[in-house]
Amino acid sequence: MNEVKHLYVHVPFCRSICYYCDFCHRIYDHELAQKWLERFKKEIENSLVPGYETIYIGGGTPTALEYDELKTLLDYLKPYSQQAFEYTIEANPESLDEDKIILMKEYGINRISLGVQSTDTGILRSINRKHDFALIKEKIALLRKHGLDNISVDLMYSLPNQTLETLQKTLDDILSLDVPHISIYSLTIEENSVFGRKGISALDEEIEADMYELIEKCLTQNGYRHYEISNFCKEDCYSRHNMSYWNYEDFIGVSLAASSKIGSRRYTNTRSFERYFSSDDIHEEDIVLNKKEQMFEHIMMSLRTDLGLDIDGFERRYECKIEEEYPQGTGNPHIVIENGRMYCKDLAILNTVLLDFME
Amino acid sequence: MDREHIRNFSIIAHIDHGKSTLADRLLELTDTVAKRDMQDQILDSLELERERGITIKLNVVQLKYKAKNGEDYIFHLIDTPGHVDFTYEVSRSLAACDGAILVVDASQGIEAQTLANTYLALDNDLEIMPVINKIDLPSADIGRTKNEIEEIIGLDCSDAPCISAKTGQNVEDVLEGIVKYLPAPKGDVNKPLKALVFDSYYDSYRGVVVFICIKDGDVKVGDKIRFMQADTEYEVTELGVKTPYEVKKDRLSAGEVGYLCASIKSIQDIHIGDTITSAKDPCEQALPGYRKMNPMVYCGMYPTDNNKYNDLRDALEKLSLNDSSLTFEAESSKALGFGFRLGFLGLLHMEVVQERLEREYNLNLIATAPSVIYKVTLTDGSVIYIDNPSMMPEATLVESIEEPYVKASIMVPNEYIGPIMQLSQDKRGIYKDMVYIDDNRNQLIYEMPLSEIIFEYFDKLKSVSRGYASLDYEIIGYRPGNLVKMDILINGEIVDALSIIVHRDFAYKRGQAITVKLKELLPKQQFEIPIQAAIGNKVIARTNIKSLRKDVLAKCYGGDISRKKKLLEKQKEGKKRMKAIGSVEIPQEAFMAVLSLDDE
Repeated sequence: MNEVKHLYVHVPFCRSICYYCDFCHRIYDHELAQKWLERFKKEIENSLVPGYETIYIGGGTPTALEYDELKTLLDYLKPYSQQAFEYTIEANPESLDEDKIILMKEYGINRISLGVQSTDTGILRSINRKHDFALIKEKIALLRKHGLDNISVDLMYSLPNQTLETLQKTLDDILSLDVPHISIYSLTIEENSVFGRKGISALDEEIEADMYELIEKCLTQNGYRHYEISNFCKEDCYSRHNMSYWNYEDFIGVSLAASSKIGSRRYTNTRSFERYFSSDDIHEEDIVLNKKEQMFEHIMMSLRTDLGLDIDGFERRYECKIEEEYPQGTGNPHIVIENGRMYCKDLAILNTVLLDFME
Repeated sequence: MDREHIRNFSIIAHIDHGKSTLADRLLELTDTVAKRDMQDQILDSLELERERGITIKLNVVQLKYKAKNGEDYIFHLIDTPGHVDFTYEVSRSLAACDGAILVVDASQGIEAQTLANTYLALDNDLEIMPVINKIDLPSADIGRTKNEIEEIIGLDCSDAPCISAKTGQNVEDVLEGIVKYLPAPKGDVNKPLKALVFDSYYDSYRGVVVFICIKDGDVKVGDKIRFMQADTEYEVTELGVKTPYEVKKDRLSAGEVGYLCASIKSIQDIHIGDTITSAKDPCEQALPGYRKMNPMVYCGMYPTDNNKYNDLRDALEKLSLNDSSLTFEAESSKALGFGFRLGFLGLLHMEVVQERLEREYNLNLIATAPSVIYKVTLTDGSVIYIDNPSMMPEATLVESIEEPYVKASIMVPNEYIGPIMQLSQDKRGIYKDMVYIDDNRNQLIYEMPLSEIIFEYFDKLKSVSRGYASLDYEIIGYRPGNLVKMDILINGEIVDALSIIVHRDFAYKRGQAITVKLKELLPKQQFEIPIQAAIGNKVIARTNIKSLRKDVLAKCYGGDISRKKKLLEKQKEGKKRMKAIGSVEIPQEAFMAVLSLDDE
């Protein structure tokens, strides 16, 4: 029986590079993709066992793969996806077409995460995205036509030149689509992204905070539940897969740059194609977490959600009393303990609150 | 070597007029230091001195020179610090000399410290040879510079060497001038030993190494000697000269300058300015020695990590072994924990000490704003001295507060006289005099509180005069002032380390400026926090630190856990470098905020 219930698959290709991104990816290349698929097959045969409850294919851009390649990938994963009740794939509106949608449906994919970022064409161009809102509407209609209506839309805010007005417009546009799930991330300038290398600086903190407030207000008023710092859903359409991270459950990640956590062990695959292709040892990092580290990480992840931390489960798992273990953390005025759960009242400043849980 | 062929001298100059560069050239020309060992400013042996281009500790070096008359001479060049903070050290080194080379930058002319140092040399009865430096600069004006020296100081410049220490041009003339114009040491080798102690440092193998200038008689290894003022006796274990490397000698005699070791355990056993004589055959009268200079500027220094208190104490003990003008005593602050109150000769001295503690002893320190020492008369008639504003007694117990005043002498080109007078007035300066120097420059004399000089007077002086004004000052005593203690409250709590003494008329403005500055410097907190300035129970200024609105990583999925944790650890580290006052973390810079108020 498989004890690890969650599988992440990284597709390390994109058709173009978004300026904010420093994820592990290369511009799509047919030969490279073939080689990757071959190596990928070997990796999963050695590391996966059937029985995952959630699978998430992310990237990069999974839809950057050609139809045949995507089919091969899904074929490889088929033995492991039979019990998956949530099977998500990330898609880019430009490279998502009807054939690929039919293919996904065929292989049991039941959730799509669509990279939209904004509906403002100017802003989209300024981050090197090539679609527009019309294309988004078209692709969403196409997904629904084939019964794929568990759709999540990825958005970004605090982008260069974005204002509260253009953000509001994007939110209005997205609300008109009536999707069950929205992820919305503030721009982080990563050192190795195009923005980072160009020395673009982030928007003023105050504006970012204003935007965050606007988003929360707008989406919750329109029936979305703010269930995690950057995630909103209708009813119970939250991401099961991502929820497993926040509940600090075990997970396995395959392909380049993917991380796994199994018990107290965490390892991360290499980001280097060279090493991935040439070596059997592809773990860039492989560490054993001590109890203290696991406890902190568990709190750090759990406090991100509106359900917070299950205190009883935590105390049993680590054989401790949380209030004795973290007098400063549990005493933080932004922390609430009620009905057996611990929450952070003000998710926007979670980092600062978490410091009180550290040594 | 007979006395007639010895010359003991210092080089004196305003800062940046080329003193250290000239010393370098003299060392080179006399082959004292091989070219390959030559490094810039060789006498500045502290790393910090070389980096900042300043001389802090004095140093002595022996040079051998074959003059054009065919005879061999021995020169002892005793280096002097060039900064106003270290006037005391200058006078120490000058006491060991018979002559001085006065270096004046031909593009700048006479400056405030040129005068101050010249007067010190005259006080010590030194023969002074003027040297006009930097003649290679396009803006050099040799004629004008000579005129200034002749008219203001009254030194004949007709034979003054005109040189470029940088290119080496005419530096030979300086060496010849030393032979010709500077006197040989007086004194009698047949009289009982009489030697001046002018510096010392601690060496962990030999104990205290004492720098001496032999005025009369001689001293040999194995001799029993007596420190007349300290009233202690030792047996000489080692003698030598610095070339600049140490060269051991069996004997030093009248006119010579060198070092002496005598198994002296602690630097506290040595008084600079003391006279050494022979234990068996003592001289009748000691040399006049000099008054110990008391620290004028004080500040608290605290380790950011309270566990490093003992490390800081050890470091201060070691540092003070070689810096007798540094004083320290333990103090504690509610805000900062346990630390020390340090006394310094001036602000540069303070900066240098903090930098050395952090760099050489690897400590993270919080320095509180510097303070002068106040003389407080209490209502019961008793007098106390307060060097820490937070220790100022309650206003009802205080009869009067007096503060140290200085006589400030400012050399300034005509066009900046207006702004400088305005600035000096704003700093509570009392105009005393204006002395004409030449068509273009004047010397302004003001009396003003030392505390105002500490509060950025010097920086402002430089900025309003575009760097052309120069400053020198000397302490002239205590005067009463309408002074009050101002407290800073963060989240309703007095932060003792931020308390200052201000003139009542400036309190409101300063209080406002400080609270605004603190608002900029304090990181946003989880809740809105008031910052207040108060005199007694009366709040005179207030700002609020806005609460933190957003501090969270947008994305955190499986692969982000490690990275996210590292970010938090970094944030936590940063927090550890701050001092927590109640629930508020205060960064290091904030404690100096009461000082630098550019928006006044």
